[in-house]
Amino acid sequence: MPSLFDKIGAELKRGLVQIAALCLLQERLYGYQLVKILASHGLETEEGTLYPLLRRLEAQGLLLSEWDTQGARPRKYYLLSPQGMEALPRLREAWEEIAGAVGTILGTPVVGTTLPGGAKEEA
Amino acid sequence: MATRGQDSLHRWLDDASAAMAGTSEQRRDMVLELESTIQDRVEERTRHGEERERAIAVVLKGMGDPAEIGSAYAPGRPLLALHHTRPFLLNTASLFAAHFLLVLGATVADRELALGVLRIPPIEDPKSVLSVCGHALRTLLFDAGLVLVLFTLLSRVGRAIRFPRLELSVRPERRRNLEGAFFLALVLVVVNLFRDDLLALYVRGDDGVAQVPLVGPGLVSCVPWLNLWLGLALARELLYARYRERRWTLGFDLLSCVAGLFCLLLMVAAERLVDLTPAHAALGEAGDGLAALLNTAFGLIALAAAALLAAKAVRRGVRIAILER
Repeated sequence: MPSLFDKIGAELKRGLVQIAALCLLQERLYGYQLVKILASHGLETEEGTLYPLLRRLEAQGLLLSEWDTQGARPRKYYLLSPQGMEALPRLREAWEEIAGAVGTILGTPVVGTTLPGGAKEEA
Repeated sequence: MATRGQDSLHRWLDDASAAMAGTSEQRRDMVLELESTIQDRVEERTRHGEERERAIAVVLKGMGDPAEIGSAYAPGRPLLALHHTRPFLLNTASLFAAHFLLVLGATVADRELALGVLRIPPIEDPKSVLSVCGHALRTLLFDAGLVLVLFTLLSRVGRAIRFPRLELSVRPERRRNLEGAFFLALVLVVVNLFRDDLLALYVRGDDGVAQVPLVGPGLVSCVPWLNLWLGLALARELLYARYRERRWTLGFDLLSCVAGLFCLLLMVAAERLVDLTPAHAALGEAGDGLAALLNTAFGLIALAAAALLAAKAVRRGVRIAILER
């Protein structure tokens, strides 16, 4: 039975994974690759969370996908769509604003708010 | 020959697929993606010397409950939130019970269905197929009118006294499937036009054409209300989901109330419909048989269409789940 902290943590992470995935998918990646990259950045994400999220982003027109059947096994690759490219800078701005505001409220101003693939900003 | 590990993998994928929403093509796509990931994970483990069977077992265990993973592809599918279930069932059940008793009395016990000025005579010794059609039309107008008016009044009164809001919780991303469900409900309403008094075998006897109902009257008579109610609730919630403004639901309520009153007035005005005879339609004796045939054929076509739509809707993942949002 997940604790209240787990639930809140999971909800918090879900929003973060969304923006992180969009940033990472400026490069063509398949699902499992994305899981591993996110994990390497400290964002452990289950497939049951990430894959439906990717599909939702695709349905919203922010991502494009294609199957690659050339390799040992078929893989579904995702890439940011032109619409996603357009949305990304705005998302980045929104993230920086939120992170800054939350950091101020918590009394721990966020230093070096960085998104994958983005320039590091020093506070 | 498939190994035990492969078997358990396929079973896991089947379970995940069963919990997914969407077309078979979409489900296949999702399953393939999951399988590809599982194989990647298994391969990683076997590369480190682990036995394949064991690697599959460990990876599947790590992936978690397949039903949970599958259902994660269709988040927010509840149409009826837990906290709305009780008022929804209570209101619908009480209306249903009233309607059931009235129609049962009118059609089975040969008693007139009367509510103030609204009167539906029993189907007793129908003059002709046309007369039965007229009767059925009046009953339908009565049904629709009453449901529309009561639906509006109850929902408005409920809000005024702060009764837990009667609504189906709809999430916009599930709209396509909801539209399928709504369309299905509408089709069922149309199908119910062909109730037992129309969807019947017609037998030519000494006294003319007699009807042998195919479906029990009590059972069928309750369905239109239930469907109409569901259809109305869904339509209103879809409007809200789409426009996110309360004025749309208010507009919808006003419109349904006016439409209901119009149906009831029309029903009163159409009292003479039950006196129709084949002579009115200038069809003569042959008309009875032809009309009966057309009625039955049309009813069966409508039923087949509803079955096809139901199958399609199920494939598209229409589910009515009572889950907490």
